[in-house]
Amino acid sequence: MTRTIHLNLDINGKGYDLDVEPRVTLLDALRDHLVLTGTKKGCDQGQCGACTCHVDGRRVLSCLTLAAQVEGRQVETIEGLSGADGTLHAVQAAFLEQDAFQCGYCTPGQIMSAVACIREGHAGSDAEIREYMSGNLCRCGAYNSIVAAVRQAAQAVVPATKEMADA
Amino acid sequence: MTIMPPRKHGDASDGMVGGRLTRFEGSLKLTGAATYALEYPIDNLAHAALVQSTIAAGRVVSVDVTRALASPGVLMVLTPEDDLGLRVSADWQGNRPEDKPYHPLPREVQFNGQSIAAVIAESREQATEAAKLVVVTYEETSPVMSIDDPAAGEGKLMDNLTIGWGDAEAALAASPVRIESEYSTPREYHCAMEPHGLTAKWDGDELTIWEPSQWSHGMARMYAEWFAMDYEKVRIISPYIGGGFGSKGQPLAYGAVAVAAARKLGRPVQLAVTRPQNFTSYGGRAATRQTIALGASEDGVLQAIVHRGRTETSVYMDYPEQTGAATPILYKVENFSSQSRVVPVNTVTPGALRGPGKNPSAYGIESAMEELAYKLDMDPLELRLKNYADHDYQSGKPWSTRMLREALTQGAAAFGWEKRSQQPRSMRDGKTLIGWGIGCGTFPVIRAPSEAMIRVLANGRVEVVSGSIDMGQGTYTILAQTAAEALGVPVSQVDVLLGDSRMPGSSIAGGSMLAGSITGAVHKAAIAARDELIGLALNETGSPFRDTGANTLSLVGGRIEASRGGGPSLSLQELMQALGRDELEIRRNTLAENAQTPDDQKQAWTTMSKVQGPTSGDLSMHSWAAHFVEVRIDEDFGTIRVSRMVSAFDCGRLYNPKLVESQWKGGIIMGIGQALLEEGVVDPRNGRTINSNMADYLVPTNADIPDIEVISVGVPDLDASTLGGKGVGEVGIVGVAPAIANAVFHATGKRIRDLPITLEKLM
Repeated sequence: MTRTIHLNLDINGKGYDLDVEPRVTLLDALRDHLVLTGTKKGCDQGQCGACTCHVDGRRVLSCLTLAAQVEGRQVETIEGLSGADGTLHAVQAAFLEQDAFQCGYCTPGQIMSAVACIREGHAGSDAEIREYMSGNLCRCGAYNSIVAAVRQAAQAVVPATKEMADA
Repeated sequence: MTIMPPRKHGDASDGMVGGRLTRFEGSLKLTGAATYALEYPIDNLAHAALVQSTIAAGRVVSVDVTRALASPGVLMVLTPEDDLGLRVSADWQGNRPEDKPYHPLPREVQFNGQSIAAVIAESREQATEAAKLVVVTYEETSPVMSIDDPAAGEGKLMDNLTIGWGDAEAALAASPVRIESEYSTPREYHCAMEPHGLTAKWDGDELTIWEPSQWSHGMARMYAEWFAMDYEKVRIISPYIGGGFGSKGQPLAYGAVAVAAARKLGRPVQLAVTRPQNFTSYGGRAATRQTIALGASEDGVLQAIVHRGRTETSVYMDYPEQTGAATPILYKVENFSSQSRVVPVNTVTPGALRGPGKNPSAYGIESAMEELAYKLDMDPLELRLKNYADHDYQSGKPWSTRMLREALTQGAAAFGWEKRSQQPRSMRDGKTLIGWGIGCGTFPVIRAPSEAMIRVLANGRVEVVSGSIDMGQGTYTILAQTAAEALGVPVSQVDVLLGDSRMPGSSIAGGSMLAGSITGAVHKAAIAARDELIGLALNETGSPFRDTGANTLSLVGGRIEASRGGGPSLSLQELMQALGRDELEIRRNTLAENAQTPDDQKQAWTTMSKVQGPTSGDLSMHSWAAHFVEVRIDEDFGTIRVSRMVSAFDCGRLYNPKLVESQWKGGIIMGIGQALLEEGVVDPRNGRTINSNMADYLVPTNADIPDIEVISVGVPDLDASTLGGKGVGEVGIVGVAPAIANAVFHATGKRIRDLPITLEKLM
């Protein structure tokens, strides 16, 4: 297969033009073609969650998504999460404070899942957080701290969202 | 590399050794800016894909590469036909075998999943597709599938692992209370989240390799030996590693293939080992079998331990998983005997996985101790305290520090052990059976020399430079703390550069030895840098301190001033300006003064020859742990949940308790996986690892793990390391699996002696 297709992808609010083979996954497009290497490849089989990104606000496994599938949709990766001035997102700040990572390789996927988990309304209890964060494996075993970080971030994020809704 | 200063939490002691500073490189990992091995953009990169054997033993007769070569984008196919011109490298001790060729794509197949060919193409997708078109013809021979294969036999006795004192057989025979059981563990795998792989790039005769590495200098040496080149011409770059757990300490066959391909092609080559290929590209923990017999008096005093171990190894290397490693040092026992065998089978050679030896060893002895406790109808905590080892009965030496009694008693208090009822099946919550168990753990203090460099820059920033690595243990953080404290500057003024074999040498990040080793070197270099700065400030022309008559100065909070107060007070930046210096560079190592030749240094940083074991001096030095577990088991379905855990540790002084607690919990969680989930399954028809992926080889998920309480009972051990710490990384997993097995017995009355403990074994 040598044919390439032209894609225009909306990633973190920016447009990217690229020519790739149709079989290139979103994960490989990000990492190998766009130098957005914050999204990690842990298994390339949809089993570990390290490649979790948001497409139109929902968490997806970018290793099981073709780049061609997300044209015309909004992709958000870990690189788009912190503020333009480098201010960490509430979830990132909570991960730092709770030491919710060690080697850091599953971390971008955990954080993207955590942001979605809170937005989905699945951070109501520790048991619920555990359940809805179980698609993201962490071999260093930071699970206790991940739960604590998601709980902390949910408390920070949810009132803020409510305020916005009220205003 | 710029290190972003982390947000600080807590009090001002955060930046000092022992403070709970948040992870120093944290922001880079949280924003995706930390660069792992395969994340460096490199021009003109070609991609390699491996082809692995589909038989367990035999010979490659021919490889038909016609279709693969004709496939779009394919640049080259390497097979056993290609002589890559490599030589075998020296072993970890630095011993060079006779000069022989090394074939990373061998003709002889020794296990299923062995790399035998590689396709290199313009893109990863093209290489992967073409690899499927390579046709291999084999001549099969009869393999030994696993340790359970009747053809495997009893294996080879490892004489160097035979340990004994007293007369164990006679003492056992004379003991009024005896138990004897066999304990089994399956093949287990590292499953670091970052799969193995590398990018190799040649510039003339210089080689740069981006590869996750637990030992940048040692790996550079081994690559240099394979390619018969100067060690100085190989550079390993590895500032971030996505987990290692023992798997990333040496270059492997696929690495040789990628580097050779890059040389042949004259282009940089990236080889990403796929997740399934990770299961056979290097070995996990060997499958083990051990028989333990204990003899005791009627009041529960141990009289004898007899241990016999057998572990799987490959057909081409004797790698013992030392199931007799923890057995001799946990308890007071006057009569002891241990023998170990390796059983060659057609597998990739097993390797070191978190707590090698100690881990399966503790599973055996700690299960056996509880079997003895129930036989005696004695509280397992009481039995352990009753047989507490006042010294090391194996070496005869006193302990350096051993707070295992405190770990047992404080752990028991925090857990609420006194509320336990002795009889199995006596605690329940409706249809849920509840069980409590204990498991002790240990890991030796292994010491090694390291080197470090401190650079004070004109802008007043301080750089700590070391070729050591951080795979999540916290090297960046504790080195910043060590340098800040010794030098007298705020931690926010410090940058740490790691993970490059061109930087000063260090011990391997393995055997829980790195932190103790490298903090010693950084401490020494930082003290020397402080003394140098003060000396220059007192004596150099241009320094405002020169004529103050002060005979000493202090450096506190980043300011240099007269110790008695008064007079000038300069920041490091102002001082460097006054001295007219661009940079001050201080390098120190912890090698003996009479072992400082270039050869000594190369040996120290690239081999294990200067590493000292736990009893190399007058003392016996180890980390210790006591784990307390509660399991809840559905009586009808046999489903097991770990519902509560308290673990108490003696790891000496903790350089950063926040990070230590994380690492302890990580070890404990891997231990929960070992006890309940993890098992490499071998296909008896062809020796293939059936569950070679992360959905079928089960590792713990978030939902499997309860809140875990960890307690430190350690005291500084200045015999163990410069700053008083003992190893942290591995002891966390040791003793967890038996604690869970013991809790399962307490809940159900059923003793499961082969891991993992799955529900069908309880039926």
